[in-house]
Order: sequence, then structure tokens, then C-alpha cells
Amino acid sequence: MQFGVFTVGDVTPDPTTGRTPTEGERIQAMVAIARKTEEVGLDVFATGEHHNPPFVPSSPTTMLGFVAAQTERLVLSTSTTLITTNDPVKIAEDFAMLQHLAGGRVDLMMGRGNQGPVYPWFGQDIRQGIPLAVENYHLLHRLWREDVVDWEGRFRTPLQGFTSTPRPLDGVPPFVWHGSIRSPEIAEQAAFYGDGFFHNHIFWPPEHTKRMVELYRRRFEHYGHGSADQAIVGLGGQVFMRRNSQDAVAEFRPYFDDAPVYGGGPSLERFMAETPLTVGSPQQVIDRTLGFREYVGDYQRQLFLIDHAGLPLKTVLEQLDLLGEEVVPVLRKEFAARRPAHVPAAPTHASLLRAQQDAAQQETAQHSTAQQNTEGSTV
Amino acid sequence: MTRVLTVSAGLSQPSSTRLLADRLAAATRDALGAGAEMELVELRDHAHDIADHLLTGFANENLRPVLDRLSAADGLILVTPTFTASYSGLFKSFVDVLDRDAVRGKPVLIGATGGTERHSLMLDHALRPLLAYLRAAVVPIGVYAASGDWGADTDLGRRITRAGGELAAAVLARPDPEPADPFTDPVPFEQLLRESTGG
Repeated sequence: MQFGVFTVGDVTPDPTTGRTPTEGERIQAMVAIARKTEEVGLDVFATGEHHNPPFVPSSPTTMLGFVAAQTERLVLSTSTTLITTNDPVKIAEDFAMLQHLAGGRVDLMMGRGNQGPVYPWFGQDIRQGIPLAVENYHLLHRLWREDVVDWEGRFRTPLQGFTSTPRPLDGVPPFVWHGSIRSPEIAEQAAFYGDGFFHNHIFWPPEHTKRMVELYRRRFEHYGHGSADQAIVGLGGQVFMRRNSQDAVAEFRPYFDDAPVYGGGPSLERFMAETPLTVGSPQQVIDRTLGFREYVGDYQRQLFLIDHAGLPLKTVLEQLDLLGEEVVPVLRKEFAARRPAHVPAAPTHASLLRAQQDAAQQETAQHSTAQQNTEGSTV
Repeated sequence: MTRVLTVSAGLSQPSSTRLLADRLAAATRDALGAGAEMELVELRDHAHDIADHLLTGFANENLRPVLDRLSAADGLILVTPTFTASYSGLFKSFVDVLDRDAVRGKPVLIGATGGTERHSLMLDHALRPLLAYLRAAVVPIGVYAASGDWGADTDLGRRITRAGGELAAAVLARPDPEPADPFTDPVPFEQLLRESTGG
């Protein structure tokens, strides 16, 4: 199982000091968080993509390329890449380039983006969100798998004899996750392609997660990619820890109360009870996280949101220390002990390459057997 | 079993809005006959839950059952006080957090209270268009009760009886609704792809 962090990339004032980091400070903080993620032994760093203040990550592959150069094992991902407002051709090019530079340590998560004003800035309309996600991804999927693509669709200029370069590393396209909170069409889409499905699993009650994952698993099996419990599921989660749970609650409360998204609404206690947010001791985070599999089944990737609402970098890095030292080692062991052997691990470039080579070998073997049979019959 | 849910947006206690809601519910129950199940929700009890929903985007564990009961009901009685020439803000906020299609095609009886008869067209100028937008099947008679109606010899009782009768008839005439669940029956991807690419 993979563990990591995902960041929204918000520039939010620290409510305890009133100080707002500069964009430059926030960008450097995100890089520091990514490096620390590898350093403490976690597997994945994923960045959001936004095109309006107060967010900084408008150019994910630039950031991830920079992080790739400073890390060795970390898988670089997104949370999410906007499949609605980005040109699928540019996504194909950018992520294939990143894949080469990072030696295959790249996957990405497709998302639609929920902010109405962003769409028209890119010549699109939020009401077309689902059709955009469906058509654009269909093109992206082909661009990475077919050397020469002829294409005609509703949303972009037709392509005649187009080759997206560079071709994916080793001929293996980056693994794709599809993220959605409550649109069944996206679970259906992920299932159709046999891609991964990621539920952000923060800010919302777990019922949404359960319902979406159930649908995705059922349809994954329907489309013949394996049994439902072999589908590739990722979850988010939001945590804040101190060794003593009362300290965690006291320290996090001002950030919670002022946070974008849910600030000014329900109490911290209530939000913890009704969403996967866990503020407490490392043991509480372990217990809560292990409970996730009870409603989504055995899953492949767990990402934590730890750097939002104006939390200072120093605090975030302390959270990573706790995750790396106390939480994730236990989670790795406990999840592994519970997972049946036929449930796969999260796909990586190495595993996808191996699968591709196995498939090619099998084909060659079948071909030569068939040839031998043919030869035999002529004798 | 026929189930009718009454929603009262009255704030004071005792509340004339609640009083009207109870009378409308009783008239509907009488017209439906034995076997009708009547339920009531006071929005005052959920004011904070509704505000939380507006801020977080989801119904908390107190509000969720209310929304589920509303979606599942065969008919609705919606009663609001008149505040500043329209339905109350709490009432509108509640309507704002309803699930999409929650009242679509559902028989609805509307009622309102107010300090003066001069607001009585609020039912038809404010409440009815709101529900038309949500594609509810609002019965023709709505009942408005001004302060004066409660003491004087007006025809309030007769209006209530007729309105309850109309709602009951609409509920009984309504074909069994078939709520489509996109999670049980998702649109197959081939169809999504066809529709998305316009092919």
C-alpha cells in the first residue's frame, strides 16, 4: 500500500499570527513538504491544480519536475489535473516529459474542478463538465497508446496524423486515477478504462466515499478488469496530530475555525464525527485510518491532507515526522496483514512495465506455439 | 402506506404557522382516510443544521434523515410565516439545501401565515413560483391565515378542509414514483462517450 500527502496549494493567513505567506514562500513550502515526504519514508506527493488566487499551483508538472530532481523514490502525482479545462494534448505531452525526467515516478489524477469562473477563462463551460471529462480523457488515453492519432470531437480542434511527443517512457503510459466526490459518471469512467478511482474523502461524510467506491468496484468487474475487490482505490484523509490528543485539538482549533471550505460552520468535534478529519494522537489516526477499509474494502493508496488552512511549514513538517515515524509503519504492517493475496498493490511504472513485458512474452509464446502447430500439421 | 410530511417554518412558540400546519395535516389525514401516516418537521429545530449545510455542502446527521423523509414522502405540506413580503429566510435556506429532484412531481400543499391579509398573495407570487421551479405538483388551493383569521368568523376552516381534500386527492392519484438511482443503474460508459463526443 502506498502512503503520501496531497496538497491543495492554498495561500491562507495563519489565523494565530495573522500572517499570510507570500506565493514564493508557499511554493517553496510545498517543495519542502514533498522532499520531507520522501525523507520520512512515505511514497507519494500529489499537488492540486488551480488557476485563481488564493492558490499557487497553476503549473503542476513544473513543480513536480523540480521535485523529481531532488528526490529518488517519491512518486509524483496530482490532486487533481483538470481534464476539463486543460487541452488533453498538452496533458499528454507534459506528463510524458515528466515521466521521462522522473524515471517513471509519475502518475496523475483526473478531476473536473468545481469552480465555475475558471472554465470560461479556458474557453469552457462548467455545465459541460462531464462531457469534457469524458471526451478529453478519451483523447488523452489514445494519445499515450497510439503513435499516430486522427481525432475529431466536440471540444477541441481535430487532429490529423498527430503524434504526441515524447512517447510515454518504455511505452508505458502513466497510471491514471479519476477523482470525484459524488458524480457516478466518473466512477463509471474509471471502471471502464480499468484505471484507478480516488475519493478525496475529506470535508464530506464517508457515505459519499462508500457509495462511489462501491459503484466503481462493481463496474470495474463488469468491464472485465478483474474482480471488484481487485479494483484500484485511493483515498484522501485529513489529520492533525500531537502526541497528546488534547494538545492536537487545542492547537488545530483556530485553524479549523477559520479554515476556508468549512470555517464558521460546524464545530471541530462535530466535523470530526461526521467527516474523516482526525485531530488527535498518532494512535487515533492509526485507528481511524484502519477503519476506512471497513467501508471501501482493501485499497491501494492513502494520501493525507496536512498543510492547509494556514498551518505553518514547521508544523506541517512535524506532522510528516509523526506520519513517518509512528503512523505509517504501523499502517503498512496492519493493512498488509489484512489484505488478501489476490488484491493487487498500487500500479507503479515498474509493475506496469513488467505486466506489459509479460503480456508481450505470452503473445510471442502463443504465436510460436501456433506456428509449431501449423508446421506440425504440414509434416 | 401513504406518507405525508408537513414542514413548518414557524419560529415562535406557540407558533401560528405550526397551528396552520397542524390543521392542514389533520384535514389531509381526514381526507386520506385510514392508513395515512402523517409526519411533521419544525425547521426551527434544524436552523443550525441548515446553516451548516450551506457552509459545508452536506447534510449533517440531524438533517440527513429529514431530507430523506422529505424525498420519500408521497405528499408534502409546506407552511411558512410571511417575513418581509415573502417566505422566511429559514424556509428558503431549507429549500436551497434540498436534494435535486427531491420534490419533483410530488403533490404539495402550500400554506402561509402573516400579520395582515394584505400579504395573502405571497402564496401565489412567491411560494408557488419557487415550487414551480422545483417542478413540484402544487395543488391549486393554498391557505393563507392572517392574524385576524384565528379569532374572527372567517372561512379559514372551510379553506383548510378543501385544501386538505385537494392534497389527498393528488396524493392518491399519483402513480407510484420510481426514483432513479444513478448509483444502482449508472449510465453505461459507451453511452456517456457517445453523448459527450456528440457522435
